[in-house]
Amino acid sequence: MIFVTYRKIFLSIAVLVVACSIGIIAMLGLNLGIDFTGGSLTEVSYEQRPDKEILSGELDQLGLGSYSLRETQDDEGRDGFILRTRDLTEDERLTVSTVVTAEGQDAAVTRFTSIGPVIGQELKDKAVWAIVAVSLVIILYVAFAFAGVSYPVGSWVYGGITILALLHDVLVPAAVMALLGYYVGVEADVLFIMALLAVLGYSVNDTIVVFDRVRENLVKFRQEKKIKVVGTDGLEREEIEYILTKPFPAIVGESVSQTLMRSINTSVTTLVALIALYFIGGEVTQTFSLVLIAGVLAGTYSSICIANPLLVFVAERKMEKEYGPEVKNESKKDK
Amino acid sequence: MSNNNSQKIEEGSAKFIRKFHAVSVLAIIAAVLFFVYTNTVNDSAKYPFKLGLDLAGGSHLVYEADVSKIEPTEVADLMNVLRDVIERRVNVFGVSEPIVQVERSSFVSEQVVERLVVELPGVTDVATAVEEIGKTPLLEFRLIDDAVLQEQAAAEEGVEFDEPLDPFIDTGLTGRYLASAALEFAGGQGGQLSNEPIVSIVFNAEGGDLFESITRDHTGENLAIFLDGQMISSPRINEAIVGGRAIISGGFTPDEARSLAQNLNFGALPVPIVLASTQTVGASLGGEVLNKGIQAGVIGFSLVIAFMLLWYRLPGLVAGIALVGYVAMMLALFKLIPVTLTAAGLAGLVLSLGMAVDANVLVFERMKEEYRGGKNSREAARAGFARAWSAIRDGNITSLLSAVILFWFGTSIVKGFALVFGLGVVVSMVSALLVTRTLLLALPETDLKKGSLLSKLYNSGIKTK
Repeated sequence: MIFVTYRKIFLSIAVLVVACSIGIIAMLGLNLGIDFTGGSLTEVSYEQRPDKEILSGELDQLGLGSYSLRETQDDEGRDGFILRTRDLTEDERLTVSTVVTAEGQDAAVTRFTSIGPVIGQELKDKAVWAIVAVSLVIILYVAFAFAGVSYPVGSWVYGGITILALLHDVLVPAAVMALLGYYVGVEADVLFIMALLAVLGYSVNDTIVVFDRVRENLVKFRQEKKIKVVGTDGLEREEIEYILTKPFPAIVGESVSQTLMRSINTSVTTLVALIALYFIGGEVTQTFSLVLIAGVLAGTYSSICIANPLLVFVAERKMEKEYGPEVKNESKKDK
Repeated sequence: MSNNNSQKIEEGSAKFIRKFHAVSVLAIIAAVLFFVYTNTVNDSAKYPFKLGLDLAGGSHLVYEADVSKIEPTEVADLMNVLRDVIERRVNVFGVSEPIVQVERSSFVSEQVVERLVVELPGVTDVATAVEEIGKTPLLEFRLIDDAVLQEQAAAEEGVEFDEPLDPFIDTGLTGRYLASAALEFAGGQGGQLSNEPIVSIVFNAEGGDLFESITRDHTGENLAIFLDGQMISSPRINEAIVGGRAIISGGFTPDEARSLAQNLNFGALPVPIVLASTQTVGASLGGEVLNKGIQAGVIGFSLVIAFMLLWYRLPGLVAGIALVGYVAMMLALFKLIPVTLTAAGLAGLVLSLGMAVDANVLVFERMKEEYRGGKNSREAARAGFARAWSAIRDGNITSLLSAVILFWFGTSIVKGFALVFGLGVVVSMVSALLVTRTLLLALPETDLKKGSLLSKLYNSGIKTK
């Protein structure tokens, strides 16, 4: 199975992708929207938009601090502006809405959002905590669900790798978001967090399905051997030792190829729904679907090309430690 | 249904049971679809879809309550009183289905903030709304510490103190204990001007007792009455007042006194509140988002079914029916629970269309292996479900755990998403295990060697080997 045989290449690609993603996020940063930073957003629509300079001239006199005014156009061809400022008091909001609707034809404020900085900070904290808590629960559950197959790698390893794959799958769309924010000015809002959370769910599900097949095949290709062990207290006790009738990398490779079709097909159905959402679903959910598309692609890659190669990698390291390098060479003979 | 392969009669009855189950499942899906349809087309339906403000248009206001002066044990009670008061206020402007709820910043934040969230569907004139809510008076009674007052007077004459002192002592008696208020005209006794408009208030039993004990313990001192943070009068307590009646006089005009009495009757705020965030979405913008979301859903749905049909053929058709069942059940649950649909929820639903077939895909791939291995179609289906179960179980349990945590941690928007996500996981499992399984088992038996059209319809995907 190529994914296991050439695991070093696939893992290197993954490491490179993760390093680039972290680099991009660290350098460009996420363009956080007012959901997180606090501030306000006023959206105005006009039959005929007033001149941007005239409007900014008037806004300058209101003492709002720094603000940004962006020209927009909705799907019905109506012109508009999006004004972003610090969070406004009720009085300031009234003044601003009077100023922006005074000029131009048939003006109307179609959307206004103002969020205090405390609420924004709280949302940030909550998002971080939720992701940490979800990761912990996943490690625990996976370790529990794979407790039956702790040979040759401990069941904790499955949980740990699930989280590593998860990290990869979340970093990639976050980097995409950072790029979008830097070059196109897209803001990361609550919807972005939700997209990340959905990626999280997808990624874990995907990895677990492949591991499930490994679990099944491990049981199929192992023999129990009862051995007598003399414990430290001098008493003799029976322990079960497992012997695999097929090398571990081969078992993993077979599991990957058996679940490959399923991994691809589920990605295709999910991507198809997301692509429909991206092209037809309108502006509000466009970023959401784009982030998810990146996440689903990353998730599919990680479940096939990261999770299982990593499993083999860990198993080899462990065997090398226990039995010396010969075992490693032997296990390389898989096809 | 398990040991039906020995005798013909048994086999016949098993066949009947399978057909009966399949027809029942189809009937249930049809009934759910009918329920969703009639409750959507009818404007006066009992279970309409509940649209969030971002889809229906409206205002979303968040108030922060200042509970710093309140005993921590009383906070929850007071917030409920606050909610009731604001709810009564909001109901006055005739908004259909306003939502007023208390929200507490969770334990992850350093500071606990008590909030009141007010949602006004259809109200885009947020200024009027804010003003109306702002009319709810905050009524407080405070004792005056004469010593501090004298020190302050001294301070004004040049003597400096380390820190400014507050001469007013909270008594705990606030508008929450108010039973009713009325406009009256003073009769000229007790130092009041004759015919001065005053507002007489009656406390409830609890408030009356509190008022009595305050006036008994502090006879001779002054009790200041604060309205919206402004002291309007500070009468001297001459004796303990029994019966829970008090008078607010402060040089009102008759109109001022009348509106104060009216506003007090709607309820007085038990704690001060400040507007922390406002969100308004115009109705046309919301409608546009909704339409596009629905369109994306329909097209995504068709594409997923088309893919399943092309790839898995006959089982793909069954998966398509299961997906119809999935959507019908989700929509019915949205109506029944009810789940407030937002742009995010809608996007989540479209996304879940792609993910919901996952259980089907898992089963079909296992089934195909068994079928190619020589099992007949029905045995292959059974084995497919049995083998795929552990993967479906573990995958879905972790997803469900994530949804529960998100629901627990999240703010209202994230909660809504978590709910849709969690429901999607459970319903997709039900649709795969109930709908797909029942229908698949009811299909006529065949095996690969037959080479008939039916046997080819079972063999899916690209040919290998």
